[in-house]
Amino acid sequence: MTKEILTQEEIVRKKRIKTIMSIVRFALIAIFLLAFMFPVYWLAIGAFKVEGEFYNYPPVFWPNHFSFENFERAFTMFNGTKGLLDSFIVATANTAIVIGLGVLLAFSMGRFKTGGDDLSFFVISLLFAPPVVAAIPLFIIFRVLNMLDTYRVLYLSYVLINMPFGVWIMKGFFEDIPAGIERAALLDGYSRWQAFRKYVLPLAVPGIAVTALFVFIFSWNEFLFSLIFTRSSVETLTITLSGMIGGHQIHWGELSALSLIAITPGIILTLFFQKYLVRGLTFGAVKG
Amino acid sequence: MSDLQGKLTIAQSERRFALVTALPGLIALIVLVVGPLVYMFFNSFFVKTLAAPIPPRFTWFGNYGKVFTDTRFWNAFKNTMIIMVVGIPLQSLLGLSMALLLSKPFRGSRIIVAFFLIPVMITPIVSGFQWKIILDQRFGPMNYILGMVGVDPKAWLAEPFLAMVSILMMDTWQWTPFVTVVLLAGLAAIPKQVYEASSVDGSSTWETLWRVTMPLLKPMFTLVVLLRIIFIFKIFDPVYILTGGGPGISTETLSLLTYITGFKNFNVGITSTLAVVQLLIMVLIAKLFMNLVMKKRER
Repeated sequence: MTKEILTQEEIVRKKRIKTIMSIVRFALIAIFLLAFMFPVYWLAIGAFKVEGEFYNYPPVFWPNHFSFENFERAFTMFNGTKGLLDSFIVATANTAIVIGLGVLLAFSMGRFKTGGDDLSFFVISLLFAPPVVAAIPLFIIFRVLNMLDTYRVLYLSYVLINMPFGVWIMKGFFEDIPAGIERAALLDGYSRWQAFRKYVLPLAVPGIAVTALFVFIFSWNEFLFSLIFTRSSVETLTITLSGMIGGHQIHWGELSALSLIAITPGIILTLFFQKYLVRGLTFGAVKG
Repeated sequence: MSDLQGKLTIAQSERRFALVTALPGLIALIVLVVGPLVYMFFNSFFVKTLAAPIPPRFTWFGNYGKVFTDTRFWNAFKNTMIIMVVGIPLQSLLGLSMALLLSKPFRGSRIIVAFFLIPVMITPIVSGFQWKIILDQRFGPMNYILGMVGVDPKAWLAEPFLAMVSILMMDTWQWTPFVTVVLLAGLAAIPKQVYEASSVDGSSTWETLWRVTMPLLKPMFTLVVLLRIIFIFKIFDPVYILTGGGPGISTETLSLLTYITGFKNFNVGITSTLAVVQLLIMVLIAKLFMNLVMKKRER
């Protein structure tokens, strides 16, 4: 849709501008990427440095040789194994509870608009509340019940953090499934439960699985509640990590090594489930 | 007649089924979430401490009066606001720039976006550690890189102003990519014809951006700003690790103050009051979210 006929020179000039613009564009993208990847890069190479390299000036941007002793020490000298194991136990149990109890509620809200706007508003309010607001009442209640420093205290208290999220996100996935599928099943003589189990649930499985992955990672990353509710018999990974900077010496190498392991689940979600990441983080407002 | 009756039973059975399926989840929410919050609300009317075995004393709105006249509360409120007022525009601008740069897909652009997004899902305390290493006054790469362009080494975490700058840097690093992907989704939803029409009109790229793209992105900006406000109210772990609210109380946020009041000073009454105040703010924002984001989507 050019309005006038361009001369040869003008075409060449336009082409040149276009080339320059695209070089500028890719240079800017590269700068952005470099700046935002640098902290992760720094953590990653830190895991392979020897201790002296942390106290070097100028800083070591690329280690002489890659050492694995930080990983070894994170598990032998520090509680790395217990941290990983306890985080895994708590996150798995919490995910099972949140999904198990949440899935039917999400279905009910998504399909039948149960509770209408009022229930939606209620769930969203809980979803937005900072976890720290519930810390004191939960602490008092758990102390009275003699539950502090157990696995139970963590996977139950994480329900508060994750259940509103799980219900809200799964509700969106159920809304995406056409209601006609169930109606057809009902007309075929199936009961409502059968229609749900045989027709709706299989279609919802991908959404439920992604929600479960989110919930697992939120539990895995959680720090505040484990800091408050547990002491020594349960020690999640985030607590192990924070212990490494506690004393008079900061164990940067071991800390970096164990941190690198800690961020792996989140990175997997980011790299392989990008579409769902946007949906999850915007609480379903952007379908991605 | 029998047909009408049949329909009624279907409606009834549907309502019953809806209720039965909702019940287990609702009970869990009420027991594990609402229960503690109601108990907290109750506690906010009492002078109560965990530090000594003194029986709680009812004080009406005494705790609320104390909180609203406490300079430390307003300091935490101010700090939380600073993170929002400086951080959100900064992240919106950077996020928009990156989104515009990436808006025309090219080979490998999806992978770039994926890597760019890593900060968003990183374990929050780990992002605190990372920045602590990077900003280390003597051995950190930040001062080294700044030194190459002639800037004197800075005591990032030891000076109040710089500590706040550090928090903002960390927050911006973690959340700009999030803004980018939300805006990318918004850009992708704008129909091609809109741009074609604009280019026929002879508008420059800049005019198109301001007059066409930005107005169409407005709902996405609303969403981003609301979500960022919520996330900033929630922010705890990385600030706890990076500055611990210090030096002094210069980077103490509302959630950090709530934690310290509860688990360093063991003051149950005041902590509960702080919590109620934050909860009320969140209920307000939830209302905004319902009206500005969810309702619009349904239409």
